[in-house]
Amino acid sequence: MPISPIAENRSRDTAGRPALRVDDLRVTVDAGRTEAVHGVSFTVGRGEIVGLVGESGSGKTLTCRAIAGLLAPGCARSAGEVELAGADGTRVDLTALDRRGWDSVRGTRIGVVFQDPASYLNPSITVGKQLAETLRVHLKLGRAEARRRAVELFASVGLRDPGTVYRQYPHELSGGMAQRVLIAVAISGDPDLLVADEATSSLDVLVQAEVLDLLRGLVRERGLALLLVTHDLAVVAELCDRVLVCRRGELVEQGPAAQVIADPQHPHTRELLDAALVWRPDTDAALAQGLSDLEFAEAS
Amino acid sequence: MSTLTSTPETRSPGSPGSGPGRSGRATPARRAGILRRALRLRSTQIALGILGVIAILALFGGALAPDNPLAQNTGAVLQGPGGAHWLGTDYLGRDVLSRLMAGTGRSVVGALEAVAVGLVAGVAPGLASLWLGRTFEWIALRIVDAFMTLPYVVFAVAVTGIFGNSLNTAMLAVGALIAPRYFRIARAAALGLTRAQYVEAAELFGASRRRILRTHVWGKILPTIAVTTAQALATALLIVSSLAFLGLGVEPPLPTWGELLSSDLDYLAQQPWAPLVPGLLIMITAGALNALADAIRDSGAVLQFDDTALDTAPDAAPDDPEPLAADRSAYGVL
Amino acid sequence: MSGQAAETQAQRESAGTQGLERTLAYARAAVRIVSVPVTVFLIATFATYALGALGGANPAAEVLGQDATPAAIARLDHQFGLDRPFLVQYFTWLGHALTGNLGKSYFTSIPVSTSVGQALPVDASIAVLALCFAVLIGGGAGIAAALRQGSRLDRAVTLICSGVATVPPFIVGIALIVVFAVFLKVLPSGGYVGLTADPGQWLRFALLPGLALSAEGAAAIARQLRTSLVGALRENYVLGAAARGLPARRVLFRHVLRNAAGPALTVLGLEIPNLIGGAVVAEKIFALPGVAQLALQAGTEHDIPVIQGTLLVTIGVVLISNIAVNLALVAVNPQGRRGTRTVRPQAAARGAAAQPTAGAVA
Repeated sequence: MPISPIAENRSRDTAGRPALRVDDLRVTVDAGRTEAVHGVSFTVGRGEIVGLVGESGSGKTLTCRAIAGLLAPGCARSAGEVELAGADGTRVDLTALDRRGWDSVRGTRIGVVFQDPASYLNPSITVGKQLAETLRVHLKLGRAEARRRAVELFASVGLRDPGTVYRQYPHELSGGMAQRVLIAVAISGDPDLLVADEATSSLDVLVQAEVLDLLRGLVRERGLALLLVTHDLAVVAELCDRVLVCRRGELVEQGPAAQVIADPQHPHTRELLDAALVWRPDTDAALAQGLSDLEFAEAS
Repeated sequence: MSTLTSTPETRSPGSPGSGPGRSGRATPARRAGILRRALRLRSTQIALGILGVIAILALFGGALAPDNPLAQNTGAVLQGPGGAHWLGTDYLGRDVLSRLMAGTGRSVVGALEAVAVGLVAGVAPGLASLWLGRTFEWIALRIVDAFMTLPYVVFAVAVTGIFGNSLNTAMLAVGALIAPRYFRIARAAALGLTRAQYVEAAELFGASRRRILRTHVWGKILPTIAVTTAQALATALLIVSSLAFLGLGVEPPLPTWGELLSSDLDYLAQQPWAPLVPGLLIMITAGALNALADAIRDSGAVLQFDDTALDTAPDAAPDDPEPLAADRSAYGVL
Repeated sequence: MSGQAAETQAQRESAGTQGLERTLAYARAAVRIVSVPVTVFLIATFATYALGALGGANPAAEVLGQDATPAAIARLDHQFGLDRPFLVQYFTWLGHALTGNLGKSYFTSIPVSTSVGQALPVDASIAVLALCFAVLIGGGAGIAAALRQGSRLDRAVTLICSGVATVPPFIVGIALIVVFAVFLKVLPSGGYVGLTADPGQWLRFALLPGLALSAEGAAAIARQLRTSLVGALRENYVLGAAARGLPARRVLFRHVLRNAAGPALTVLGLEIPNLIGGAVVAEKIFALPGVAQLALQAGTEHDIPVIQGTLLVTIGVVLISNIAVNLALVAVNPQGRRGTRTVRPQAAARGAAAQPTAGAVA
């Protein structure tokens, strides 16, 4: 049954329906000449944090961009379904949106957070004004109202001095604060899905931990679905409920995070884990093995 | 304090004009190398061809013209192009083609004169500004700034109005306004080169001052001056034509290109295509000069100078460096 | 201290200094924007006055004629104030000029400011029209080309811009006359009616000269804007804005153009002196009673005060436009307040007047 772009479907109980459903998604690059994502399928439930991991070139960024409709020119979704289900029962077929459709979906139903956050904001306008602008455009708030709400949002993402931050320019903010600002912008429309593309990769470790805390808090409070794209398995171990492992455009393994990390099935997952030195139940054993290997090498 | 970036030149043995082991005595070979590279471009060849024709016309135009440019013939006024007169006749029955050819010399000489004045008046003070003390330097820089503010044509109008309407006066005025360009490059070049690392390095290696001057300094400055001169000539030509158009610096009935345009204007209704002819000629010549300048510049050895160090005024903030070609393109400051 | 608390602390400290820094930067920018033109103004006007004095065929002698007695000349000299020390004369003259008194014509005794005051609006109104054309046509073309980069439209625009750049304005003017006045006969080939007198007629007379003068500027603006936009559209913040769901038009005009307009504004600023120079020639082509005509006329009569007056006014216009452009640059881009991009008056007037950029090959 074809799904119309924005279908009211209150008769169906959407409580059990995942917020995001991706089915056999294929993405081509280079003006359609090469397929870079080969039929990826997964879901993200409401209040769930799903990590999408892989090396560079594994297709994870392309996947999340395709979901958010932000593919670069030359790239296109060639097949597959992507469906967004809201808490209020509306369903949106993300593959059938035109530019106008996307403008109303992005910012209100999907929020996106990027790596290197300050560069994704206009460098010559204060961050407060930019958030206020988003609020006015999507929520039709008046100027004063938008301003107030912006400051509230800044406070809710943990910025300690929201009034001052309002008046700052992107380049004047530290990495962590800029990311909080970007998160504030992303959740300002009360979205169903939050897509974070390497959101913490450029932050210091302490700051990264705090931003991750913030994300977790937001997800639990608001029932957001969070799709977190990262190459850092430590982040996955820390934050995610489920994890999807990407390799060369395919999902090679998916499952609950703890389980996948403790007992990886696919060799690539094991490689990634080894490289990440994530604590695993059998790490002690690995350590012992490593030490004895070393002694052996030294002795000979 | 000035920074000098010079686009790297290939000095491998295979580079044009230099054989193996020649890099030491590279001056004539290197200059030839730059020119040779520029010459290889089709645009340069066309430009030089055009300029060659213009030069010949400038020197021998009067003699080569089919008719006497001054001969009036009231019986054959304002005729279109035809067998007897390839470009028609003007309002006094004079042959347009002949006038055009004969007028080349005057227009070209005017432009050359202006540029010569500019060169002489600009280079010496430019170099002097580095050695005659801070006061002189500051004053000279401010004067240069002021002169660059004055629009060419308006200034020339004013000067000829005050001092008398003659070609020489007008060219002096234009030359005075071109001088600042030469001032700046001379100054920047001298400043940059005396501090350039490769000069120091060469000194360390024991090269004599004279050799350094010859190989490094001349080899680098000459193309730069060539570019500026070509552009200045184009500008000067256009200004001379405009001034002639306005009636300044002309001595009727002797023809110049600009003056031809002006008389054509009066009879536009009868000969609407007439102004096109001198106009095209001016455009093509100026275009050729600019293309030449571009070619030399693109062939790689022209230095870009960072002018910002030259501002000794207390409020001189880091302005944009102004590459030498800036004069020509409207957005040169970028 | 937790990561964010430490950040906030640092942030607060730096925000405090940032505020101070910003004010200082504003002040510095303001000083710089004003002081350089002022210096240039003083020197240029001094040169103007000196020229007059040098050229000065003794005006008293000219006015009184051949058989003026030395005493009569001396009296007139004193009346003209020509027997005082030079610098004093200069500053007096400058002072008068700044208050609007530019002296009187040697010959007609009409105050120079009156004559200039009648002639200047002609040039000014047409120049403003030309600027509007340049911005609208050039801006529109530049934006269209950048949005459809690589398409036929883009290539056509680029080609036309390079072509136009090689054509001197007087040719464009003449061509326009030929097409519209001679062939189509829809617009007059010359003459002028004041804007305040009759706007409709004014437009009829001002349209062609305005277009002719705008051609060069439009081409330069289009080219620059296209380049800046193509670069700016690739920036991350454009993606960020799209990710926030902002409509395309809003992103373009409120975000991208705001950031990318700087260089184009600079170009615009550089065009203004070209307009002045082009106007001189345009006046002749289109028979406009402007400032240049005044100067030319005065030139034939050696009417020095008038010449000085017109030169002074020209200098003033160039410098004021330079200040205006620099202020606009600062307003558009706060990073400009750090002093990265302002246009110096000499750069603004460089190659100005006639057809300096004709022949600029793309």
